[in-house]
Amino acid sequence: MTVQSLYGVAALVAGGIAYLLPFLPPWLVTIIADVVFGAILLAASMINTIVLIWYERKLLGRFMDRRGAMHVGYAGLLQNFADGLKLFRKNTYKPREADSLGFYGGPTAYMVSSLVIFGILPISTGWDNGSLPLSLLLALVIFSFAPLFIFLSAWSSNNKYSLMGGMRSAAQMIAYEVPILIAVVAVVVLSGSFDLTTIVSEQRNYWFALPLFLALIVFVAGMLAEMERIPFDLPEAEAELVEGWNTEYGGMLFAFFMLADYLRALIGSILIVLLFLGGWTLPSYVPAALTSFPLAGIFWFMVKTYLVFGVFVWVRASLPRVRTDQLLRVGWMRMVPLALVSVLIAAAVVAAHCLPVLGCVPGLGS
Amino acid sequence: MAASTEPKEGPNAAFLIVKPMATAARQFVKSLVRPSTIVYPFERLEDPSFREEVKVESGHPIGVGPIWDNYRGVHALNIATCISCNLCAFSCPDLCIEMVTVPGGDPKHPKKCPQIDYGKCSYCGFCSDACPEGCLSMTTRYELSTPNRSEMIYSPQKLHEVFERKLPMNPIRLERPENEDAIRLDAPLCIGCNACSRDCPTSCITMVDTPKPTAKPGEKLPRRIWKEPVINDSDCVRCGTCISVCPKECLFWGTHP
Repeated sequence: MTVQSLYGVAALVAGGIAYLLPFLPPWLVTIIADVVFGAILLAASMINTIVLIWYERKLLGRFMDRRGAMHVGYAGLLQNFADGLKLFRKNTYKPREADSLGFYGGPTAYMVSSLVIFGILPISTGWDNGSLPLSLLLALVIFSFAPLFIFLSAWSSNNKYSLMGGMRSAAQMIAYEVPILIAVVAVVVLSGSFDLTTIVSEQRNYWFALPLFLALIVFVAGMLAEMERIPFDLPEAEAELVEGWNTEYGGMLFAFFMLADYLRALIGSILIVLLFLGGWTLPSYVPAALTSFPLAGIFWFMVKTYLVFGVFVWVRASLPRVRTDQLLRVGWMRMVPLALVSVLIAAAVVAAHCLPVLGCVPGLGS
Repeated sequence: MAASTEPKEGPNAAFLIVKPMATAARQFVKSLVRPSTIVYPFERLEDPSFREEVKVESGHPIGVGPIWDNYRGVHALNIATCISCNLCAFSCPDLCIEMVTVPGGDPKHPKKCPQIDYGKCSYCGFCSDACPEGCLSMTTRYELSTPNRSEMIYSPQKLHEVFERKLPMNPIRLERPENEDAIRLDAPLCIGCNACSRDCPTSCITMVDTPKPTAKPGEKLPRRIWKEPVINDSDCVRCGTCISVCPKECLFWGTHP
């Protein structure tokens, strides 16, 4: 089937729907639109997640002087799809003493709560219709559901390693929620809004990463801990706990955890891009040719997201795992003061109103 | 304060983060051009193009140099110069060498060459060390995997094909010295111990009785068995086993009388 005929089929389907739309009641149209949009979003996020795993494998390979996946598909691009298919076909086993509801419900809720955030995050211009006044807060709230579900599935597994991993995960995530939220407060002070679309549009003169560099560092470190990636992967420390809180999981349930981990990594990268790196916009002094081609917003957004995730991979390839006491000490004694300092900086920037090189902050609420 | 209860940190924490990240970045940039990993079935160390492309730190291309040339891989057998002496099979500690008949010998003395079972071989190299002709040698070939076990047994013809590929080989002794023409016996030294006859791979040495001399008064006859080896020259393959096993060094290389 050629590309042209695919376009033809798509046009036929879209035309059919468009023909039927006037005859349908408005609530049904809304439901259809939501379902179609949700399906597209789901497919896009899942494909992006799997490609993200490929990207990490390739980058990590180069960091370790090897090549990563390279045989299935172009440069191994389809390797993770094949792995997912394999996991999908596998049987799932439940330990005899495990609690069914928690054992099966935990991964599902973890996955679903990670997927829901994609409905909140704006990706490009034109998402204003669906934007919420408190979308940043909502995204962070749903993002912090995870320890609950992790702990639920760890407890239900009836395995001591799972339980210890779940405990560590809960402790770590709660310790790093605080500096993350304070760092976000700095962004909110500077932009004057909890709406992610507004936050992005406020960065038209300069990216918030420049005045709020400290907050960026705190946010990145906190996100590393939230995503449980190296060097903060204590909850699944392979050397101590077998596989941490997903020790008892295999097959598709394990794939759920794996996918949700990378979904959360993707969400973390997206949040960093939205809050600190200007989202889909480039600074106003960039030539217009770079931002005027079709889908330029999504293009620059994806480029930035993958670069940020590349930094996560870089950190993973460089640093060893920290101890629990180091983790908590850094979280409470370094990150929280740094975040507070960055709030002060944000307040100072708002008070000064104009920065020497970067330009002026738009007025609050404007 | 809390500072006193904290464990002592070694170097600066920023140093502990920045330095490894710089190292990783350097490695990343270096392997962007070409990672050290060899994509084995598609690239081989011994490929000529690969040898030119990748150099090890000593300056030698990988795959050339003393270590590689002493590699003990699949044997190469030159059937033409094999003398069927059986020494390789004798020396094999794994009993993986069997002498099988190959075409080319006369009916009375069939030519036998080693057939090697690589399922048993431990690549010790004793056989190529023992080969008096230097016709059995070890090459750099290392790919042996087959779907069934019988293909692990390499016939002499197959080993000869390996020889014809002219792979780098372990040179043991490629040419036979000029003077190694016949086995000679220094009769007065012989004690008739039968070692040469026992170890001769072609059983061409027979011990024949020699008359025991009558001792003169006051003379003490040497304590020995009154036998001497007689070598059937048409059966002898000149492997030199008898020379090396002789305890009194009374056998030596010489020319035909």
